[in-house]
Amino acid sequence: MLRVLLIPAAMLALLTGAMIWSGAASYQRADFVFINRGDINTLDLNTISWLQDIRMAYALWEGLYTLDPHTLEPVPGCADPIERSDDGTVYTFHIRPEARWSNGDHVTAGDFVFAWRRMLEEPGDYTYLLHYIKGARDYQKAFGEGRRCDFSAVGVRAVAPKILRVELEHPVAFFPALCAFPPFFPMHEPSMRPFRIVDKTTGRVSYDPAFTRPPNLVSNGSHRLEIWEFHKRLRLVASEYYWDRKNVRSRVIEMLSFADPRTAFLKYETGGVDWLADLSAEDAGDLLARGRKDLHVFPGFGTYFYSLNCLPRLPDGRPNPLADVRVRRALAMALNKKPITDNVGRLGQPVATTYVPPGVFAGYRSPAGLPYDVERARQLLAEAGYPGGRNFPQLSILFNTEGDHRFIAQIVRKQWHDALGIDMELCGVEVKTFRTRLHGRDYAVARASWIGDYDDVSTFTDKYLSDSDNNDAAWTSAQYDDLCRRAAREPDQQRRLELLARAETILLEEAPIIPVYHYVNAYMFREGVKGIPLNPKNMVIFKAVEAPRP
Amino acid sequence: MMRYAAVRLIQFPLILAVIYVATFFLTWVIPGSPFERTERRVADAALKAMAERFHADDWRKFMAYYPLRALRGDFGQSMKYQDWSVTDIIRQSLPVSVTLGLFALTIAVFVGVATGVLAAVRRGGIIDSLSVGLALAGISVPSFVVASLLLVTFCVRLKWFSIGQWGTPADMVLPGVALSLLPMAYIARLSRVAMLDVLGSDFVRTARAKGLPRATVIWKHCLKHALLPVLSFLGPAAAGTLTGSFVVEKVFNIPGLGQHFVNSVLNKDQTMILAVVMIYSVMLLTFNLLVDLCYALLDPRIEVGAKAQ
Repeated sequence: MLRVLLIPAAMLALLTGAMIWSGAASYQRADFVFINRGDINTLDLNTISWLQDIRMAYALWEGLYTLDPHTLEPVPGCADPIERSDDGTVYTFHIRPEARWSNGDHVTAGDFVFAWRRMLEEPGDYTYLLHYIKGARDYQKAFGEGRRCDFSAVGVRAVAPKILRVELEHPVAFFPALCAFPPFFPMHEPSMRPFRIVDKTTGRVSYDPAFTRPPNLVSNGSHRLEIWEFHKRLRLVASEYYWDRKNVRSRVIEMLSFADPRTAFLKYETGGVDWLADLSAEDAGDLLARGRKDLHVFPGFGTYFYSLNCLPRLPDGRPNPLADVRVRRALAMALNKKPITDNVGRLGQPVATTYVPPGVFAGYRSPAGLPYDVERARQLLAEAGYPGGRNFPQLSILFNTEGDHRFIAQIVRKQWHDALGIDMELCGVEVKTFRTRLHGRDYAVARASWIGDYDDVSTFTDKYLSDSDNNDAAWTSAQYDDLCRRAAREPDQQRRLELLARAETILLEEAPIIPVYHYVNAYMFREGVKGIPLNPKNMVIFKAVEAPRP
Repeated sequence: MMRYAAVRLIQFPLILAVIYVATFFLTWVIPGSPFERTERRVADAALKAMAERFHADDWRKFMAYYPLRALRGDFGQSMKYQDWSVTDIIRQSLPVSVTLGLFALTIAVFVGVATGVLAAVRRGGIIDSLSVGLALAGISVPSFVVASLLLVTFCVRLKWFSIGQWGTPADMVLPGVALSLLPMAYIARLSRVAMLDVLGSDFVRTARAKGLPRATVIWKHCLKHALLPVLSFLGPAAAGTLTGSFVVEKVFNIPGLGQHFVNSVLNKDQTMILAVVMIYSVMLLTFNLLVDLCYALLDPRIEVGAKAQ
């Protein structure tokens, strides 16, 4: 008898033990609670690249410039005043005397030199943005190849503990916007020192990323990281040493991690969250149709498009019909995008004829782009040698099977079949394979998208430079490159924008991409929640957020 | 029995080594790079730097670096969540899954055995029909349906529990129930069949003929026989339940290990895949051994490790 009872008794004992082991803890509601888009991937500024991580970086760090909490325009951050030389190539940053790290240390020019040097020596996704700094590209290359290199040749110098001088390769009108972008934020070397790893053979230094976890992480932003429970939550507490602490509205901010957007939405619905930063398109579409007042849909900072491989040969060695600009233009002009935004997007996404989302960059006049014109498309295809789609080789549309990409691909295929008489095969793969094939140009037609990073048109146009790593279409145009390069060096902002608009016109006319729609962002927050700008850049400066509490 | 256990324990490292190597080669051939995380193409220099940092630029380097460390419980950094070592992730998520799994198993064993035994005793009655219905529902209704129904009913409509939280015993109730249904259904069916078998056997008839009350016969003589098939099911079921469930953890937002089984493969997070597979393997081997040993405890006629005559 006893033996029979032994099993349940053991199970109960184990359960009790496990409950203690798993660390039961009760929640105390923070001053501001939000659900980010997915979980945090990394808080190492070197490798940061996901939207949710970048969002978090704005709470924890502050650059030489930061973003205005309401307009998201770059404004002086932990440096003020900032001097710019007349030719626009030298910036002298006077770091605020009151700028401090979360452990009380002063923020110094050396902290920026350390962070930027590390970015060049241990490159990450955004290292290329540092190449505007004089000598940075050469230094990174030489260091990476193990050649002798001297960091003093790079145009970053701490001329005094609180004075940083930066010399650029050429005038960069949007350098303030870059300085307000997390890969340009400073890092606190003394707190990272215990995590230093020196490679025995090469002598190279790297850091165990555990330095990003509390209590190790020392940051200089409005908040410091107090708790990071994996896949559960991050708790930020206002930094006692932040120079602008009087304007910090919420002392304790909590980010909850949710793997399932539907559960996240239900959490918001039951009142546990002040701001829901991401919604599934399905939920957002339903709420929009129901006229929910706390749903905020506004233009986004990106474009969904179809990428056409422009290489002379297809991956399987056949001649590529898409190498002919007439074929690409025909495909672009035969696509009616309205049914896609109406039936799949459902959030009122604007139909795109341009690559750069219009209205996002002040003063930028978007070109018209190619119109929807089936007759002209048929003509172009016939001129290219495929009248009525005859002899057109079988190509496939590559997409990843997550989300709605399959539905969009089905609509595209049907439209091209009906309008041009060509048949495309659908090729859905999981996302890792998709990226590898897209980046390896191992496709004919692929769905693609681009989200801007910083406040300048070049964050879009740079993607299609001939030598850009991100030029998945393998499209090259000397004229386009020349216009973009001239724009990069042009100090006059209006002239720059004109040059970039001309570059975009060439891109759209030659159609290595077919813009489908511009993204919109969807947030949910109730009346009384403050400090969340409905700005395409999809960022929040956390010192300004505030939620009403009873 | 001790000898049997010792032999099995000696086999463990060999089996685990084979699993490790096989899993490693499978992860190596999955297409895609673990370091290309967004649609932005990472520069070759950065990709190379990251691969070198993870000793993943060459399979020989990987195999030379990780297995020995894994023996000490150090599986390296996660390739997807680079700020976290795999060991740290497991240290935070395994206790959560084990707690939830144990809770679910406890419900499953208690309710499943009780239902199965009652159904067998009252064969053909309402309880029997109910138990068959419960078993059928438990086996055929997918857990995401049950989990979503529980979430909407008890969290959104009735507001008895809060959503997506883990920390208090109350947070465990709904996911525990959702997770318990499948093993509960199996246990109910297994114990019902076994009980029916035992109830018809000679020694039960003899016991009843001696004048022993029915309850005593069932409780003292039949129950442990009915538990034997349940026990053999519990081995693999425990390994599966304690390491978490992808669906239940996702719907209830439980920070457990279950989601890593699927996500680590999607992310091609090689270090993480190897760690979760090894944990699962260790659990499976251990529970199977424990089950074998428990047989002897419940039924002295079974001599664990004895050679067939």
